[in-house]
Order: sequence, then C-alpha cells, then structure tokens
Amino acid sequence: MDHTVEEVGDDAAVITLAGRVNMVTAPAVRELITGIISAGRVRIAVDLDAVEFIDSSALGSLIGCLNAARRANGDLRISRPTKHILAVLEVSNLIQLLRPYPSAHAALEA
Amino acid sequence: MTTEHHIDFAAPPADVNIVHEFLDGVWSRDASLTADERLAFELALVELAANVMQHADTGAGVACRLRMIVDEASVSALLSDTGRAGDIDLAACEMPDELSESGRGLALVQLVVDELGYQRVGSSNLWTIRKARAAA
Repeated sequence: MDHTVEEVGDDAAVITLAGRVNMVTAPAVRELITGIISAGRVRIAVDLDAVEFIDSSALGSLIGCLNAARRANGDLRISRPTKHILAVLEVSNLIQLLRPYPSAHAALEA
Repeated sequence: MTTEHHIDFAAPPADVNIVHEFLDGVWSRDASLTADERLAFELALVELAANVMQHADTGAGVACRLRMIVDEASVSALLSDTGRAGDIDLAACEMPDELSESGRGLALVQLVVDELGYQRVGSSNLWTIRKARAAA
C-alpha cells in the first residue's frame, strides 16, 4: 500500500492511497490519517482511484478516521472509488456516509 | 471444466496477502471468470482468512488449508484451520451501525456469496463459501 499526502490550506489534506487496503495495511492507513487530524488538518479527502482492493478492515479504518475528524469538528470524504470499492460501500450500507466525490478537491470544497 | 487449486499456510508468518497471491494465480489460470466474480470471491475469501487469523489464533498461530474449486456453475472454497472453535451464529450475523469501526467481515461475506457455512470438525474449523457464476 502506497500513499501520498498533499496539504491544502491551513486545515485540510488530500491523502491518495494505492494498492490493497486490507487487514495488513488498514492499521497503517488509520495511523496515517488520524496523525494528520491530530496535527490540525481536520478536513480530509481520501482519493481511492488507485486502490485495487478494500475489505471490512479498510472500511473500519475509514470510519475510525471519519469519527476522529468529526470529533475535531472536521470531516472525511472520499473521491474516485473504483467499481469494486463502490460495490463494497453499497453492500455495506455506507454509500450515504461515505458519499463519493469526483475529485479530492471537489470533496474538500463541497 | 473443473479446476482445483490448493495451498497450505501457517499464520503467522503468513498474513492475508497470501490469499491475494494465491487468487492471482487462480485467476491467471481461470480466465473465464469476470472481474466482478473475481472481486466478490476475493473479498469473501480474504474476509474469511482475516477472521480466522484474528479470532481463531490463541497465540500459537494457526495452520490453514485452502482448497478452491472452479467450474462452469460456481466458484467455491473450503478453508480449514487448526485454531480454537468459533462461537459463531451465522444466522445472527448482520451489518453493524454505519459509524461502527468493526464487525462487518462475516456480514459482508454473506452478502457477496450465495452460501457461507461454518462447522467444527474434530479439532479443526471448516469454512465453506460458494458463489454461483453468471450464465455464460
């Protein structure tokens, strides 16, 4: 699992993930994003275009980060999920909570 | 045509990536499966393996045997492990509240395959999944 972090303004960040987010890599995703939130960037966009696989541990990490962002008066949004990720979000009833945006910057500006 | 594939592994040191790698090999030999069939089955099997690694391991690790069968009608897998018996009621398995940070694994498996079974056989847990294939 690879990632990049782009700081946006004073309080936002775009995290671009790539590869598989599963039981092996989901804890690192959670640690990465909650660290960014703790450092004051509470508006988070997670771009998923290059993520080839997610499972329930990935969902748990994303929800954990969403909860952390909201506790800090921010939010977490996702952009560009692949067809596989959309299917997992739909079957898990998370498509409203993690509504997809067409780009990470659109997610931050919405 | 029916094809069979199998792998034995011990976790640790193996983690769920061994299931991804195993399936990469299966898909390369069974090119007839659609991308949707592959991803749904991969999700189900990775969730099952993760469940075993998280809940059946009492600290000494678990030995796992995975057997997979692909034919024209379905894709199925049997995953057995030497871990502790699961206290599992598949009928009561449901998707948790949307803000919950865990507890989705087996509910997800049930939603993406047609059959999910669990039984304790001797000193092993035996998980089975089957997904019907779209008519050609």
